[in-house]
Amino acid sequence: MKISKLILKNLKKNVKNYYLYVFALTFSVALYFSFVTLQYDPALDATKGSIKGEAGIKAGSVILILIVTVFLLYANRLFMKRRSKEIGLLQLIGMTKNNVFRILSAENFILYFSSFAMGMFLGFSVSKVILMILFKITGVETTVNLRFSSEAFIQTTIVFTIIYLLMMGLNYLFIQRRTILNLFHVNTTSETKGKRLTWLEMLIGLLGIGLILLGYYLSTELFSAEYMTSNGLFFMMILILSSVIVGTYLFYKGTVSFVFHLIRKRKQGLLSIQDVTSLSPLMFRMKSNSLLLTIITTISALAIGLLSLSYITFYSIEEVAKNTVPNDFAFISEEDANQLKQALDSSNITYEETIFEVIQVAFNMNDILSQDNIFANNDGYVRTPVISDTDLERMDVDEGELIISGYNKSLQSVFPFKSSGIVTLKGKNNTVELGYTGIEKNYYLSHYYTGGSARPTAIVDDKMFQQLKKDLDREIEQPSSIYIGLDVVNKKQLEQAHALFAEQNFTSEYAESQLHIKKENQKIFGLIMFVVGFLGLTFLITSGCILYFKQMDEAEDEQPNYTILRKIGFTQSNLLKGVIRKQIFNFGIPLLVGLSHSYFAVKSGWFFFGAELWTPMMLVMVIYTALYSIFAFLSVLYYKRVIREAL
Amino acid sequence: MFILQATKLHKSYGNKWNKQEVLKGLDVSVKKGEFVSIMGASGSGKTTLLNVLSSIDKVNDGSILIDGTEMTKMKEKQLAEFRKHQLGFIFQEYNLLDTLTVKENILLPLSVMNISRKGAEQRFRALAKTLGIEDVQNKYPNEISGGQKQRTSAARAFIHQPSIIFADEPTGALDSKSASDLLDKLKELNQQYEATIVMVTHHAVAASYGDRVIFIKDGQIYTQLHKGEQSRKDFFQDIMSTQAVLGGVQDEDQ
Repeated sequence: MKISKLILKNLKKNVKNYYLYVFALTFSVALYFSFVTLQYDPALDATKGSIKGEAGIKAGSVILILIVTVFLLYANRLFMKRRSKEIGLLQLIGMTKNNVFRILSAENFILYFSSFAMGMFLGFSVSKVILMILFKITGVETTVNLRFSSEAFIQTTIVFTIIYLLMMGLNYLFIQRRTILNLFHVNTTSETKGKRLTWLEMLIGLLGIGLILLGYYLSTELFSAEYMTSNGLFFMMILILSSVIVGTYLFYKGTVSFVFHLIRKRKQGLLSIQDVTSLSPLMFRMKSNSLLLTIITTISALAIGLLSLSYITFYSIEEVAKNTVPNDFAFISEEDANQLKQALDSSNITYEETIFEVIQVAFNMNDILSQDNIFANNDGYVRTPVISDTDLERMDVDEGELIISGYNKSLQSVFPFKSSGIVTLKGKNNTVELGYTGIEKNYYLSHYYTGGSARPTAIVDDKMFQQLKKDLDREIEQPSSIYIGLDVVNKKQLEQAHALFAEQNFTSEYAESQLHIKKENQKIFGLIMFVVGFLGLTFLITSGCILYFKQMDEAEDEQPNYTILRKIGFTQSNLLKGVIRKQIFNFGIPLLVGLSHSYFAVKSGWFFFGAELWTPMMLVMVIYTALYSIFAFLSVLYYKRVIREAL
Repeated sequence: MFILQATKLHKSYGNKWNKQEVLKGLDVSVKKGEFVSIMGASGSGKTTLLNVLSSIDKVNDGSILIDGTEMTKMKEKQLAEFRKHQLGFIFQEYNLLDTLTVKENILLPLSVMNISRKGAEQRFRALAKTLGIEDVQNKYPNEISGGQKQRTSAARAFIHQPSIIFADEPTGALDSKSASDLLDKLKELNQQYEATIVMVTHHAVAASYGDRVIFIKDGQIYTQLHKGEQSRKDFFQDIMSTQAVLGGVQDEDQ
């Protein structure tokens, strides 16, 4: 047989085995190419917000190429290991190492670059769709033209050629370093050999769980007042990260096999066939794969966490805009408000007006806070905007009482308020004590007064308001003490009103439009969401593929066991049931651990990103789990084939 | 009376144009409690015979009755069920699962049967005692010797009290001491449990432990030897001379 024929034959077999590799490679190339195309596309300038779109995409493409490189190198190493016997055999029959290397390189070259070409083609055809998605997410309206970017083509080719050369370099080392004898033994340095559990392992197992729990506990404490210095925060973050990651590693190294060992011990040797094909291989495999599993878990946790946070931000854009500017338009001077009112009148747009008189009073709220208020001065007082209940329809506050408004979930999770208590108000000369009766989550004032929702607004009875007004401490008052909100009655005219707003020249920069804030945020966070989304998808696909390849390897290693079991008289479906259970653990454990890591990560700091936690986070998690399960399903199909061919 | 009755077994490999007939209308029957050895040169079809008798391979023609049940017509699932309950296996390369302890390996066939933990434990104790593997029961296969592995494998074959046990070169990978140990144990179990054993071997010594030796040549039975009342040593001499006639060369390593 000629060498070229050998190459072709190997290739045919490989394509069948490594379709997922081809898929992942094609996908990566396509994604990278379209990212780079976007980067060079002039249309992207339209998404320029306060950060440059190009920079975001560029950062994304760098991370993307890092993930892809690691993935390709790892997959390549796995394949080399699988084929080591073949490599040994070729040398045994008299081929030189260089010859073998040439054959492998040629094979790889064809496989790699045909996937590359496919990816390129795919990337080119979908880059328009991707650009459209980007514009849709960021709310930018421009027409999209399909343009082949030669810069992008050259950059993609260079990057992927470098990865190919890197792969070949490693293969060359692999072949050079190994003697024929140990090529035949690469596979037999098996990870599956049974060993008994030692006390050390048990200790490691307990330590693993302990460290993870410690990290979780610390993460819930992260933003409490105690650690709120910047150094303390940084130190805590490092501590949490390292304890969780080390904990995860020890978890796979010890905990899993420890728990399974206990289960096995309880069965007193009488294992069911499901146990045989799931429990016992798992406990040894997880241990030897612990580094890989830790990496996959961390990557998944990172991906889910980032996806959740960016989606929380994106999801909360509307609410954040409402909290920043509670009415369609907000003003802090009558002059500016009148200017817009005239413009609206002349265009026959009807509107409602809301006016608040706002004063600033020093509050001592220590009695109603569950923990120390870090925003307060040394004496415990914090400046708080106060409005009168007469300015509010449908609300009446009793004399001697006050209601806190504009305190959303995110603030509440950092500085929770008790349900009642006494608040001390300090004027210039007198102090007053008022009974606090509850929280109202509505926002009434714009961020000029609330400081970007950091300060809640107090609502008091009008009598009290007048009394406080007479005793103002000039030092803490702001230049303006009026808030005017305008709401367009017919929301269909909002765009038109917004256009009018944009035409005006206002005296104050705090003349603001809710829609404008929303659009600006959508541009910025939409872009982040877009980049993170695609990166997350790449994380998902590459980690799923790696687990799948690992399972392919395992399935083949275990085929002799399946042969024994089938000879003894177990049916294919008996075995498959166990395998399904095994795959649920194999894919499920890293996923569950990843989900739980990201849950605690997101929970500890989500309030910096948006106003809603559960809906966006759950949505991200469900979608991630669903996509991830596809790989588990594919691996079960592969096992099915291996079991069928075992006898 | 016969636990296994196979008649007119035909088996061939290859395709229409290039056919290799391995079994050519072979008849075998084994009585209950009998210890039968099958001998023959490489390529004579002895392993194929064992495979078809033990349902791992299918015959092209002929019938195999085990305990009165026709096996050749069974579907894949029925066959698996049948193997699980009626047959036990001992292989040359032990075929133990590396990830299970000795005890777990032995108890494996019981996992699908309705047997109490206590009952399983009792059976295990008795077998482990006879086979002398009590001390290693909690070890993993890679921690024990070849002889111990093969005795583990034998215990697994006996644990579910099958109608018939098939052994494929059980001593092939063992040194002569371990081999005779194992064969002694097999003989003991054969008598103690009245277990039927069909063993393929090419060692005359191993074969001499049986009650009967069947010689196969070119896919057919060449001759049979019964031990009868003679001593194992005499029986061994008989086997040796038959083998010499059969193969032309005396087996030097025995």
